[in-house]
Amino acid sequence: MKFRSLIIKNIFRNKSRSILAIIGIAIGAAAILGLGLVTDGLAASTQQALTAGAADFTVLPSSFGGHGSGGGFGGGGGFGGSSAFNGSSGASFVSAGQTIDQSTLNSIQQMPGVETAAGVLRSATEINGTSQPLTLLGIDGQDLSLDDVQVTNGTAFTNSTQIILGTTAATGLNKTIGDEIGIDNQTFTVVGIYETGDYMSDRGAIISLSTLQNLTNTTGVSQILVKASNGTSPTSLSSQITQTYTNLTTSTSLSGFNRENNGIQTIESGSWAITLLVLLVAGVMVVATMMKSVSDRTREIGVLKAVGWNKRRILLLIIGESMILASIATVIGLIIGVGAVEALVNSHILHGIQLAFSVNLVLEAVGVALFLGIVGGIYPAYRASRLAPTEALRYE
Amino acid sequence: MNNENIVKIENLIKRYDQAGVIALDGINLEIKKGEFVSIMGPSGSGKSTLLNMIGALDQADEGSILVSGQNLMEKKDFSSFRSKEIGFIFQLHNLIPNLTASENVQIPMLQTDASDEEMVKRASELLTSVNLGNRKDQVPTKLSGGERQRIAIARALVNHPSIILADEPTGALDSKMGDIILELLRVIHEKENVTLILVTHEEYVAEKADRIISMMDGKITS
Repeated sequence: MKFRSLIIKNIFRNKSRSILAIIGIAIGAAAILGLGLVTDGLAASTQQALTAGAADFTVLPSSFGGHGSGGGFGGGGGFGGSSAFNGSSGASFVSAGQTIDQSTLNSIQQMPGVETAAGVLRSATEINGTSQPLTLLGIDGQDLSLDDVQVTNGTAFTNSTQIILGTTAATGLNKTIGDEIGIDNQTFTVVGIYETGDYMSDRGAIISLSTLQNLTNTTGVSQILVKASNGTSPTSLSSQITQTYTNLTTSTSLSGFNRENNGIQTIESGSWAITLLVLLVAGVMVVATMMKSVSDRTREIGVLKAVGWNKRRILLLIIGESMILASIATVIGLIIGVGAVEALVNSHILHGIQLAFSVNLVLEAVGVALFLGIVGGIYPAYRASRLAPTEALRYE
Repeated sequence: MNNENIVKIENLIKRYDQAGVIALDGINLEIKKGEFVSIMGPSGSGKSTLLNMIGALDQADEGSILVSGQNLMEKKDFSSFRSKEIGFIFQLHNLIPNLTASENVQIPMLQTDASDEEMVKRASELLTSVNLGNRKDQVPTKLSGGERQRIAIARALVNHPSIILADEPTGALDSKMGDIILELLRVIHEKENVTLILVTHEEYVAEKADRIISMMDGKITS
């Protein structure tokens, strides 16, 4: 008989006790893998969403008072920064005091490492017949995604007589697709409703850049949204622009990205907190199971010592049993973890999350479960090895 | 049997601190190699404690005890000594219930360098010698009390010990089965030329030995 055969046979001596320990560790492994899959998937999905369309940073005139942390509407800048608008160039318009001229925009568009550079003009106005202020943004229709603008209803504008409204503005003005809005001496047809996820931005409206430039009698832009090409570091590109154009400054939209990252980190922290709790429970179950196993076999351990087994062999026996329990539990836990998350995704409970399978995650779950098995077995094994043979043999 | 002492004990004292009891009170004893000795006495006389001292399961407080040339008063782990020199037989067979008869016999060999094949062969030989050759693949729960005790005897012999220590080996058996076990022990003692020390409180069991040592209150009385 081989020593390992004895270990395996011992595990199945008390099936219900072993199954309990296996369930405990399996839940731990499943929790690590399942929660890891979800949080990693969430992080990947969020990162993908953030980097898919949005600009990496915004270029602004150096003297721009309200440096936004996002794109045209985004972050803490936009029209919320009232100091940004201190000049008037049209009858009922208030626009940025300083603009970036068209030639600078063209030059930046031609810079190596720039995938897209879109000019944005900001303004504020009133809708004809009302005293209701409206924040107005001019940007080309194909560049809307650079500013995190998602048209949720209708379409983007395609000509100078069309306008899209933010959800809050549309509700406030009681306007919907097909309605008309008069601004200055021009009438616009509402063709779409958009969302940016930012309350201030969703209170505004967007028309094409050239239309707003005509209305405000401006040739430049308030800011430029820049997206770096693949393989180019947005940070380096941003530095390069500010070094080339000393009258410009940049505001990275990475702050928004960082906010998302902070959110993901919070989710990951929560995930780890739950996992640690599960691991604690699983660890206690393993220790309790192995302690009971040792306690039930006190007399037998006394016999093993009497027939010449040393402390090391007794330790190996108990830790070996614990390790094999943990190994079985790990396999079951991995299957449960993946299966449960897949089921949740397929049933659309976890909607929109693309699971991120990785070798590291599996190794993490396997490592923690095996560690749990070893740690859970150490104390009972130590106690067993320290049992005095005569006392163990007298144990009833 | 020859004149060489395999056990030599002088003024051995063992106290149990918690109860303040002196379990062994100045024991002096010599046992020759190959001798069959029974230690007899009532419960609490110290006979099992003395057996545990000889088997290095417990350590005395004072005196000297030399077994197979090993000083058992040293502060060390005697597991290797027990593995090589001692074979224990207990009142209750103390077999592992989920292992077969053969596997139970092999248990002490797991501490040695013996190969799997050697272990299986040795267990088979011993089970045949205790008339259980045809039951080697049975688990203890499927065997009678006498059969289980015979497996325990085979287990005690598996590492070729120089001393067999039997603590009330027939205590849990009926008289007929007890006689069979005692006869088996006597045959093994003669055939293997192994020193046999048997602890009992029954006179008729003690009388099977070459020499009877009587104990009372931790002392040898005769």
